[in-house]
Amino acid sequence: MITGTGITKIFKQRGGVLGAREVPALRGVDFAIAKGGAASFIGESGSGKTTLGRIIAGLETHDAGEIVIDGVPMSPLSHRARQPYFRRVQLIHQDPYSALNPTRTIHQTLEAPLRLRAKQTGRPRSWVDGRAEELLAMVGIDPGYVLPRYPHQLSGGMRQRVVIARALTMDPEVLVADEAVSMIDVSLRLGILALLKDLRERLGVGVLFITHDIATARYVGDDGELYVLYRGQVVERGATEKIIADPVHPYTQSLLSAIPVLHGLERPGAERVVPREMQREGLPDGGCLFARRCPFSTERCESEMPVLGRDGGPGTETEQEHACFHPERRGVIPVGVGE
Amino acid sequence: MTAHTAAPHMAARDMEAPGVRIRDLTVVYKTPSGELPAVRGVDIALAPGTITGVVGESGSGKSTLALSLLNAVQPPGRIAAGSVEIDGLGDVLTLRGEDLRRARGRQVGYVFQAAQNSLNPLKTIGKQLLDLGRSHDVEDLRALVRDAKDLLARMGMDGARVLDSYQHELSGGMRQRVGIMLALVLNAKVVVLDEPTTALDMITQATILRIIREVHEERALTTLVITHDVGAVAEVADSLAVMYGGRVVEHGPVTEVLGDARHPYTQGLIRAIPRLTGDLSLARALPGRPPTLGTLPKQGCVFRERCERRMDVCETDEPMSVNRDGRTVACHATDRHLTLVKRKEFV
Amino acid sequence: MTVIVSPEGAMSPEAGPPGTTRATLRRNFWRGVWRVLRRKPSRMAGVVIVALFALMGVAGPLLYPAQLPRDDDALYAPPSLAHPFGTDFEGTDVLALVVTGARYVLLTGLATAVITVALGTLIGLVAGFHRGRWDTLLMRLTDMNLAIPGLPLLLVLSTVWKFESPLEMGLVLGVLGWGGIARAVRSQTLSLRERGFIEAARGLGLPTRHIIGRELLPSMAPYIAMNMLIAVTGAVYAQVGLFFLGVLPFESSNWGVMLNLAVFNGGALTTPAALPYLMAPLIAILLLTLGIVLIVDAMDEIFNPRLREE
Ligand SMILES: Nc1ncnc2c1ncn2[C@@H]1O[C@H](COP(=O)(O)OP(=O)(O)OP(=O)(O)O)[C@@H](O)[C@H]1O
Ligand SMILES: Nc1ncnc2c1ncn2[C@@H]1O[C@H](COP(=O)(O)OP(=O)(O)O)[C@@H](O)[C@H]1O
Ligand code: SF4
Ligand code: SF4
Ligand SMILES: [Mg+2]
Ligand SMILES: [Mg+2]
Repeated sequence: MITGTGITKIFKQRGGVLGAREVPALRGVDFAIAKGGAASFIGESGSGKTTLGRIIAGLETHDAGEIVIDGVPMSPLSHRARQPYFRRVQLIHQDPYSALNPTRTIHQTLEAPLRLRAKQTGRPRSWVDGRAEELLAMVGIDPGYVLPRYPHQLSGGMRQRVVIARALTMDPEVLVADEAVSMIDVSLRLGILALLKDLRERLGVGVLFITHDIATARYVGDDGELYVLYRGQVVERGATEKIIADPVHPYTQSLLSAIPVLHGLERPGAERVVPREMQREGLPDGGCLFARRCPFSTERCESEMPVLGRDGGPGTETEQEHACFHPERRGVIPVGVGE
Repeated sequence: MTAHTAAPHMAARDMEAPGVRIRDLTVVYKTPSGELPAVRGVDIALAPGTITGVVGESGSGKSTLALSLLNAVQPPGRIAAGSVEIDGLGDVLTLRGEDLRRARGRQVGYVFQAAQNSLNPLKTIGKQLLDLGRSHDVEDLRALVRDAKDLLARMGMDGARVLDSYQHELSGGMRQRVGIMLALVLNAKVVVLDEPTTALDMITQATILRIIREVHEERALTTLVITHDVGAVAEVADSLAVMYGGRVVEHGPVTEVLGDARHPYTQGLIRAIPRLTGDLSLARALPGRPPTLGTLPKQGCVFRERCERRMDVCETDEPMSVNRDGRTVACHATDRHLTLVKRKEFV
Repeated sequence: MTVIVSPEGAMSPEAGPPGTTRATLRRNFWRGVWRVLRRKPSRMAGVVIVALFALMGVAGPLLYPAQLPRDDDALYAPPSLAHPFGTDFEGTDVLALVVTGARYVLLTGLATAVITVALGTLIGLVAGFHRGRWDTLLMRLTDMNLAIPGLPLLLVLSTVWKFESPLEMGLVLGVLGWGGIARAVRSQTLSLRERGFIEAARGLGLPTRHIIGRELLPSMAPYIAMNMLIAVTGAVYAQVGLFFLGVLPFESSNWGVMLNLAVFNGGALTTPAALPYLMAPLIAILLLTLGIVLIVDAMDEIFNPRLREE
């Protein structure tokens, strides 16, 4: 079980005429991933998804907030003392092409972490080779074929499976998959998604799934939670299927409206939310982060910041949490032609 | 909106959009194991004024096909056979030297794959625009800049600011728009966009797709959009060609191809798309992996290793493209299916 | 535990035997090297040239007596069958001088290259990988190294140190010359450490030793090898230059000394008699450089498995 509360990250960018500039990448994000659970993070690029994933994997520090792994808060621990905890979280990179060392065979790539693991768990060295084969079989590739090969001899899909197998060498509790299928051939994507789901069920590994393609989130964790991130703030959060079917935050609705409609198989939804384009960066002080682009913003939105909650305006309470003063249901997702 | 666009375009816009006919096109790359075809025997026509989408996985030959449209395949590649006829220009593959250079840009505009990264990082966009104008002997560079600003404004950007910017000062979506502007500013009537939305997020992608559609209609273009993303094509194209292993295996109106796919690859590909609605268990990845130049079978159907409906004849004979009611399919199974149906009608 | 084997791997066309032992890997590597070298005739030519020089360095002095014979009747003799490059001012065979002189030159070059590359790589790797304080310190050191005026320092040094052993010479040249490589290796390291596989190794908790030695170093191997080869030529030029300038002690079978004597004593630039005497060491140096340049071209392919196997 991993939880995070109030995770905040501010990057300080150097350069520019005005000297240092502060880029808030995460603004107080709360999340929880249970054993074998799934938490999907969606949002457009720059919304902070990768930063969050790297923080959870211990590859990046955060400026405020607390990460608790198995009931142990991380912030009081020294850098060294944290390592064993963060090793239980493994990151799967977006790019299976740079994630494997081109000069090492798959056997060498798996051998090194497995040796380390054998040492940590007091297993004999002979365990390593068998385990490598077992892991590759588990991710659905033929060990005999893959082990002696170099990464360039494998397809993108196979590489990503090897990357997943490598992450599994540490017996992780959580896999952080950052856009794990975006660079994989379309015909093979579902295979990787199904594998992640399968690992959840078989090994009880939790998956933190980061994507900008919302549809893929369903295939890894339709039973999990979905977090919609905008400029480092969670603006809608709830059961994945619920939010996809019935989003209430205008930003979520914009994301869903943007998904191409497979004309011939489906019809566009009745409504479409198109956010206004922002010519220049810059935020209203203290208002809703989305106000400048939101087609439904009101005066209140400009001056007051909505917080995540279930308050659905006058009299209603939504099933999911959202950060909007004017949540409203809109039929933005496409409808199957047959329905 | 149209008020933005300056006079010079008016004449151009009144012109008919040109048609493009690609016939029996074969492009080979020289590799250590000989010359291998990246595009083979491709026959497709782009109807005037339509958007044709080409989908296919990595390595299926999409970019190579697109480059052939400009006769711009670089060594070790070589166009081995076929013709590309563009109305008002003739067979592009017979053009040479100066004529060819003029045709690129003036008649055929091209937005390269990863246009986001193909701008010169050391020059402002405006400078690159002027270079383009000079290399095409544009006399009135002021008018060119004006047109460029209009186009950028049309795409929702502040033209003056963009022209003064360097590539790194623009976001991915903005760079893509700059690429489209550079392809259109010389009034090309045939436009080729290679992966225009790859690496962009959903909202930006939707904006770019909308812009492509709108500009296409306003300027009466004939457009070819190349992508691996079936969704992107579905959103923007009128007709859809599906490529696999260098062949066009299916081609037809987009709603028909998606709604009632005939080729086993198209069917498998559609089934493999993660969808927002519908039963999760119906979706399935295609088995096997896409071929590369080296692993393409020498004879028989290119898709047979991954095909559920493979028959004996698929091992030996390459299926021919068969055109029926406006749709083209190259598959022995659908061939047979159709003839069977036909026979039934006769009985 | 259920095992799912997807058709992805099962359908693999060229499934080979799992030869993953170190020995097989090494054998495959050398086979690949051979394949890469054979790909272009120029590379083979390079290998042959360098091998010849190596042979010269090892066996050359053994071919001739320790004291090369003189022939007072044939001072500055023109090229003939007995003396392909003529003779020098004492009537000694010039070819013999070149051949026996090769060892010193080559050993110096090799020693210099090893020292520059070892120091430069180590310092660059550590600075780039650890960044922060280490980086600042090591790069300051590198700047200092780069700022040392090499030639004047050598001139001063030569007054107190006779550089009889090529290794001493190599040590001095190496210690003076690692700065450039350190800089370059550092910047390579900085860009490599952002790569997915290095980050993955850190995420897995693999020891720094492993990351630097097994992940970073092999990725830079072509680069390092190239630098090493180029350092050899650099060192050859440097020492030949020093001897040519006459700063270093007299030793007749030394390429630099030969050049010096040919030009300043033999008047090779004005009279043709000493011309072969001048040309012989020059040709040797150029040939050695050529051989190395021809081989450098293969380094990328040798150390990149993809290019090697193709
Ligand atoms: N310069 C080249 N030399 C050798 N082979 C090449 C070259 N360029 C492309 N190919 C090969 O030709 C085939 C088609 O390549 P092409 O770039 O057209 O594919 P694509 O469909 O555009 O793929 P992607 O989706 O990755 O852009 C591939 O198998 C590719 O490896
Ligand atoms: N190393 C970094 N230095 C400075 N800014 C960064 C760095 N990494 C990310 N950012 C900024 O943080 C924000 C969130 O980035 P990221 O987490 O990569 O978003 P996403 O993965 O959702 O696209 C962006 O504005 C990005 O520019
Ligand atoms: S709070 Fe206002 S501006 Fe923000 S999303 Fe809701 S309606 Fe739009
Ligand atoms: S020709 Fe045969 S193998 Fe090819 S797609 Fe049709 S049925 Fe499948
Ligand atoms: Mg990201
Ligand atoms: Mg391409």
